[in-house]
Formats: sequence, C-alpha cells, structure tokens
Amino acid sequence: MKSVFGHVGRALIAFLQTLSSLFYLFLETTAQSFVVLADRKKRRQAGILAQVNEIGTHSLPLILTVAALLGIALTVLISFQLRDVGGYNYIPGFVAVAIFREMGPLITAVIIAGRVGAAFTARIGTMKVSEEILALETMAINPVRFLVVQRFIGLVVSLPALTMLAGFTAVFGGFLFGSTRLGIRPDTYVRETLDVFLFKDVYSGIIKAAVFAVIIAMIGCYRGLVVEGGAEDVGKSTMLSVVSSTLAIIVLDTFMTAAFYG
Amino acid sequence: MIRARDITKVYGNRPVLDGINIAAERKKITYIFGTSGGGKSTLLKILIGALKPDAGEVFFGDRDITKLRTKDLDPFRKKMGMLFQHGALLNSLTVGENIALPIREHTALDDNIIKIMIKMKLELVGLRDFEDLLPGQLSGGMQKRVALARAIALDPEVVFFDEPTSGLDPIVAAVITKLIADLNRLLGITCIVVTHAVEEAMRIADKIIILYRGKVLAEGTPQEIRASENPLVQQFITGSPDGPISFYASSKDFREDLLVG
Repeated sequence: MKSVFGHVGRALIAFLQTLSSLFYLFLETTAQSFVVLADRKKRRQAGILAQVNEIGTHSLPLILTVAALLGIALTVLISFQLRDVGGYNYIPGFVAVAIFREMGPLITAVIIAGRVGAAFTARIGTMKVSEEILALETMAINPVRFLVVQRFIGLVVSLPALTMLAGFTAVFGGFLFGSTRLGIRPDTYVRETLDVFLFKDVYSGIIKAAVFAVIIAMIGCYRGLVVEGGAEDVGKSTMLSVVSSTLAIIVLDTFMTAAFYG
Repeated sequence: MIRARDITKVYGNRPVLDGINIAAERKKITYIFGTSGGGKSTLLKILIGALKPDAGEVFFGDRDITKLRTKDLDPFRKKMGMLFQHGALLNSLTVGENIALPIREHTALDDNIIKIMIKMKLELVGLRDFEDLLPGQLSGGMQKRVALARAIALDPEVVFFDEPTSGLDPIVAAVITKLIADLNRLLGITCIVVTHAVEEAMRIADKIIILYRGKVLAEGTPQEIRASENPLVQQFITGSPDGPISFYASSKDFREDLLVG
C-alpha cells in the first residue's frame, strides 16, 4: 500500500514539475518572441515565414483531404438517422456546426500534433544529443530564441488558418454529398447552412486552434530540449510529445467547448 | 586566468569530482587528462558554466561564475570559445553560416565584413573553400576544424577543447594539435584541453594536470610529470595496462559477486 502511494506521489510530483517547466518555457518563449519581432535582423534570421511554409503550406494537402472526407462521412452518418423522419433540411446546419465548433479544430490539431509536434521534438532532441544546444549556450545564444520562437510563432499563425480552411473544406464536402447524393437543392443547402451558422462558430474555432497551437509548440519543443543520452531517448521523447499533446488537446477541447457552448 | 576551487560533483552517490583545485594561466596551454569516465568532461562543463557544481567555485578573472544566472554569464561566454568533441556544428547551416552565427549574434557588423571574417577564420584552419558546404558533407576532422574556426570567431581570450583529437587519424590529430599550438603562440589565446592523448599533451602543453578518481593526481610541466616517481603518474604517461590503476572498474569482490549472484 505504501509503495502504491509512493508511486502515485512520485508520478504526481513529476507531472507538476513538467507542468511548471512547460509554463516557464511558455513565459520565456513569449518574452523572446517580442525580442525577435522587435528586431529586424533577428526577425530575418529566425525564418518565421519558412516555418509557416513548412508547418502550414506543407500540411495543407493532408489536412484538406482529411477535412473533405470528414465532411462527407459526417453527412452520410446523419442522413442515415434523419432519413426516416424526413429531416434532411437539418443536415447542412448540423454539419456546419459540428465541424466548426468541434471536429475541425480537434482533428486539425491532432493531425498537426503528429506531423509537426513530433518533428519539433525529434529535431530539437537530435540537436540536444549532438551537443548543438550546448554549443549555442556556450556562444551566449539563447536556445529558446534561436530554436523555439520561430516554431511557436509559425504554429500559432498556421494552425488557426489551417483549422478554418479545414472547416470550409469539410462543409464543402458535406455540401457536395448532400446536393448530389441526398437530393438537397444546392441553394437550399447554402441557405440552411447560413441560417444556423454563427460568427461565434468561427471565432471559437480560431481561439481553440490558437490554444492548441501553443500546446503543440510548447510540448513539442520542451520534449526535445529535455532529451538526455542518445537515439533511444529521442524516440521515446517524440512518442511522449505526440501522446501528451494529443491528450492535452482533447482535454482542453472539452473544457473550451463547454465554456463556449455549455 | 581561470581557477577552480574545491569543485565537487556527485552523480547518484558516486563523486565524479571530489574537491578539485586547478588553475590555468593566461596565454598558456593547460592540458587536463585522466582515464575515460574520470570526470574530465564534467569538469569542462563546469568550467564553461554549463553545469553547476555541487560545491566549489570557478573564477574567471576574479569573478565566480558558478553563482551567475544565464544572463549574467553571457558576457563571460563571449570571451570563451569551446571546441566540442564532435564539433557540434549546426547541421542545418552551412559552414560559413555556422561561423557567422556568433558574429551576427554579438556584433553589429554588416554582411560584407562578416563574409571577410568568415574567410579569415576558415583560412586559419585551412578550409577557405568550404564555406558553402553543409557540415554533413565534411569529414570528421574537417568538421572539427570548422568548429574550431567557429570557436575563435569572436576572438576569445580562452578556448576550451573537449577531446580535440579523439577519433581522428594520426595526421589529422597532429594537424589539430598544431592548430592548438598556433592559436596559443600566434594569437595569445589561453587554451584548456581535456584529453586522454598523452603524447600530444607532452609535446605542446605548458602545464599538465592529471585527474584520477575525482582528484588531482599530479600537476606540473611536461618535464616534471615525466620525472615524477609516482607509479600512478608513470602508468598514465606510459599507458601501460599493468600498474596500480586497475583494468577492473568494479568495486565489488569478484568471488563474492559470483557467490551471491
């Protein structure tokens, strides 16, 4: 019994330590972001646009494909339920609301945690192993400013944009299926969508995406910075990075959905 | 120039460094050597302020740098260069960009002047034409030379070397050793070298410090070390497998271990 408490206690302490380290990294990253954004030379050196290109543009094909399929699948599912009661005209609004409030931000963030967060951890972790981070420190170059800031800003800019594009693509997927296969007239579909759709659905999605971006960037970079030893730890850290950011995204998503629409 | 006093560092319950006192004089080459895993790299990390000792002080000039926060440590770091064991060049940047990194960070020089500086530093290590290559396209020895060029980019007062010749063929090792001597004789840079290569130390060192089991075993000029009558020191410099330093690292009695295990 005592050893059970010991284990739980140690795990809890480790968890709280990680949380406080993440918070400290977030503060440092925010402070260093202002330093970078305020200085022309540092802004150019940071390569923020290259990060947006890597995180945003290169994720587009994957995100948009998934979003379109998700929109279609959702439409298929509800049409099956609403067929018997003749409620096809509820489909457009339901799909739009489900996508923009919940599915869009969540699925996009989970995909990006796997594609981008893992890459952050692996990249920074490998640099840690080969002493490149220590080398930066001995050159009196702040590793957070040099490695974390552009990834943080890049993700906070890219993820909300990706989420919105995914939302519109999914709704368009639903529209295509609804108007071609379910016989809903296109103009009715558009009107029904706009009737239900609120501005709040857009901005709540953007806020969610921004929060998820912070989570993915911080956990991804933190897991890379704490790598010790060699290749094995890089692998383990990358796995932990994806698992913990996915879990954090889902937990926070529940809270935010409840806060916005509960 | 650099003095370490009573440095102690414990990993688990094994003291890696146990009250080390060393001093490296300005414009001299100081070699620190010891067996593998004997705390040499740990000591080096403490000297550059990357690792905090459990006890003791490191004085750079007359300031104790072990108590400084990162931000206050930076002015000292600009006066130090460090050559890492595997170079630690940033793999995503070209050779030229790697050398430009500390210069861009800490000076307001424009790109043309930085370009000239890069060429000068690369010429010093004999790699002037390699500016646009990535570190991955260079051999291990070349990477180390580039890393050396980066370490001296800001004309530091002190350069630390972590195993500068390990894993290199004898000719490249000799080239690196000559570069260390040149840096010291031509540019007046204080060099502190951690290594287990005895011969190279004997050739160019002004002072040799031997670490053994977390303590300073002996120190002095190469002549003094060579003349030492301590059998441990003799085993170090002759590299003999037989002697007071055991090949067996385990502390438990073998017979007992077998019987219990």
